[in-house]
Amino acid sequence: MKEERKAKSEIAEMDGLAALPRKSGEMVFHDDWERKSFALAVSLSGQGLFEWHEFQSELISAIKDAEGDDPDHPSRGYFESWQLSLERLLEKKLA
Amino acid sequence: MTTHNHDHQNPYHESDRDEATNKAMAERVDKMEALLLEKGLVSKDAMDKLIDIYENDLGPMNGAKVVARAWVDPDFKQRLLDDATSAIAELGYGGLQGEHMVAKENTPKIHNVVVCTLCSCYPWPILGLPPSWYKSFAYRSKVVVEPREVLKEFGTTLPDDVEVRVWDSSAEIRYLVIPERPNGTENLSENELAEIIERDSMIGVTMVSAP
Repeated sequence: MKEERKAKSEIAEMDGLAALPRKSGEMVFHDDWERKSFALAVSLSGQGLFEWHEFQSELISAIKDAEGDDPDHPSRGYFESWQLSLERLLEKKLA
Repeated sequence: MTTHNHDHQNPYHESDRDEATNKAMAERVDKMEALLLEKGLVSKDAMDKLIDIYENDLGPMNGAKVVARAWVDPDFKQRLLDDATSAIAELGYGGLQGEHMVAKENTPKIHNVVVCTLCSCYPWPILGLPPSWYKSFAYRSKVVVEPREVLKEFGTTLPDDVEVRVWDSSAEIRYLVIPERPNGTENLSENELAEIIERDSMIGVTMVSAP
């Protein structure tokens, strides 16, 4: 029996603006720091430092911010918003 | 890949960063990582493991391996049709949270296609993240009424004597279509077969073609 591998549905199935980047169902990272930033957020929520929905709310508002009036040309990318959200959340949680 | 593509390009998902931006972001992330490592809040091992899970196990690969096994092992196929949840667990794929998996086999006379008319229920531990067209109102509403038309949009034209069955997913039941094994694949190994089985064929909107 293989070790059971579990992705969390609340993360994998995020919808709308927060939906994970994917191609044909698979997750796509372009640059290494994206991978690391992703793992930090998922890891910390797994440790219970914050609830996933707290991070998701930060992420959605960061993405909305970046979109402004022009959703086709956001001022920063998905993982830039991701990292920013994590920084904001940690500031609150580790303060 | 199918030529048909409902997926919209999401502007967030394209990387056109220059080197300076990448370097600055990498430094920001490294700084945070160093701090968290020092505080003992994260570990390298745990992070690597998470990346591996999300990057490699969210894709349609699990489903393709299940179908490939069913093609080469009739006993497994029978178990899959009898109780898909247990048969899939035999291969070590978990992550289902109370949902019951049901497998539907395509034959020369029956073609199965899966939808979730209410929302976007989807067997994601097996098929990865749902494609955006699966969640679209257009697909959800039309495939029930005019399945043949929808299948045509995906380039799948079925003879008139083939019965089309549409399965509506729910919070409790998630479907996996076992597509027909194409002719000309008799000499392929189980692993080689898994590579030609694409996600859309396991939702039932396309057929698998020989490589």
